[in-house]
Amino acid sequence: MIEIKSVYKTFADKIVLNNVSTVFEPGKVTMVIGRSGSGKTILLKSTIGLSSVDNGEILYNNRDFFKSNIKIQRKIREEMGMVFQGGALFTSATVQENVIFPLDLFTDWTKAEKLKRVNFCLNRVNIEDANNLYPGELSGGMQKRVAIARAIVLNPKYLFCDEPNSGLDPQTSIVIDKLIKELTLEYNMTTIVNTHDMNSVMGISDKIYFLYEGQIEWEGVSDDIFNSENQNLNDFVFASEFFRKAHSSGTINGRMVKQ
Amino acid sequence: MNFLVLIGKYFFLMKTVFSKPVKRKIFWKRVLEEIDGIGINSIWIVSIVSVFMGAVLALQVATNFESPFIPKYLIGFSTRETMILEFSSTVVCLILSGKVGSNIASEIGTMRITEQIDALEIMGVNSANYLILPKIIASVITFPILTILSIMLGIFGGYMVSFFTGIVAIPDYIYGIQVFFVPYNVLYSIIKMIFYAIIITSISSFFGYYTQGGALEVGKSSTNAVVASIILILIFNLLLTQLLLL
Ligand SMILES: Nc1ncnc2c1ncn2[C@@H]1O[C@H](COP(=O)(O)OP(=O)(O)OP(=O)(O)O)[C@@H](O)[C@H]1O
Ligand SMILES: [Mg+2]
Repeated sequence: MIEIKSVYKTFADKIVLNNVSTVFEPGKVTMVIGRSGSGKTILLKSTIGLSSVDNGEILYNNRDFFKSNIKIQRKIREEMGMVFQGGALFTSATVQENVIFPLDLFTDWTKAEKLKRVNFCLNRVNIEDANNLYPGELSGGMQKRVAIARAIVLNPKYLFCDEPNSGLDPQTSIVIDKLIKELTLEYNMTTIVNTHDMNSVMGISDKIYFLYEGQIEWEGVSDDIFNSENQNLNDFVFASEFFRKAHSSGTINGRMVKQ
Repeated sequence: MNFLVLIGKYFFLMKTVFSKPVKRKIFWKRVLEEIDGIGINSIWIVSIVSVFMGAVLALQVATNFESPFIPKYLIGFSTRETMILEFSSTVVCLILSGKVGSNIASEIGTMRITEQIDALEIMGVNSANYLILPKIIASVITFPILTILSIMLGIFGGYMVSFFTGIVAIPDYIYGIQVFFVPYNVLYSIIKMIFYAIIITSISSFFGYYTQGGALEVGKSSTNAVVASIILILIFNLLLTQLLLL
């Protein structure tokens, strides 16, 4: 479990995180949604300690990340897997080298054992016969999937995904979403996904935080998202024509959304 | 003020760079990669430049010393001394700062803006140590070897030009490159080279590591890296010459 308590962050004079408190639970996909620039990436980067905060606490199973020394921080980080907004695969290494890298660092397994695990993970994300290709030779969706494989190779307790669907077609997005959901349940991971894709929100979220100008303006579950009083959330949710129409017709994914 | 902040940031980064690597085996594999990338890949440019420079040096000395009272072996002698004292260390490094320095800054800068450095950090890797220390070690190992190579090829260039133009008889040239030889000067050259190696790799890594923004900024970092390396090389050349030769 990850707890974020009253986190503040400013850049120069601009407040980008304003008293943010959240709880991310194991076995659940928690989604942080919000418009571009609302602070999703900063929140994620602060959570994993890549970006410092001005005030507040971030607890990993009760271990305060920012108050821990660098050794413990690295230890906590070994328990994290992260899929970056752009994939962040090592461009000078092959797919196999990318995925095997965390194993090289943190296990004493034999080469054969490591390869077995790498192939298992690549299989898990439906990447086949691509071990010796370089990231530049893969499509965007494949890169994302390799990034997921690399993120889960060490069986992380915490999985962070920054807009895993950006730049992907709707079908591929669904594949990636399902994958994230399944992996979360399979390994009881604490999964946090940043997104502004309402399809993902409706599809796989267990818990939702809506971030608006650095503040959590709404939290809840997907079933309630259409019935909120919050104007900013409604503007966000109904920005898509599809959701507006679905809402006025009363159903989404076969679910009633209107009382 | 800004300048002091920059220096502070540099030493802060170096403190992180010089810490214990995660895993020995991976670390030495990285060093070997960098020896290949930084050292082996520079052999050709150092070779070409040195042969030509040695040839030109011999020619220039020959045309300037046409008096019958000046012994011809001085052509070989001065070619050798110029290579050893200045060319094969300082000038070669000015060239290498363009090749190796810009390469390092843009490589690390690109890794920064595409979040590859963040990806390393999140895996619990000390990214500065992992990326930069192998480069520094590789250059400290290979640059002195490049100096020796450059000295020999420079002398060879002079030999070739003497052979083809007859500006000096070959036995005179051979005598010249052996006479008044001070082994300490080679050491002086190698010591300078080690300093330059650290300057080029650490400064370029520094500029790359703190790149912010996009592709344009990577280009700027790489230009800044080369300019800063060149200036520091010139300053250290002066300081080290004072210290070591006087
Ligand atoms: N290094 C920085 N310096 C100054 N301001 C920054 C910096 N990084 C982010 N910001 C600001 O913080 C705010 C939040 O940015 P963030 O990247 O978290 O947005 P986001 O919600 O992830 O957007 P997107 O959906 O486009 O990825 C933005 O207004 C941005 O301008
Ligand atoms: Mg973002």
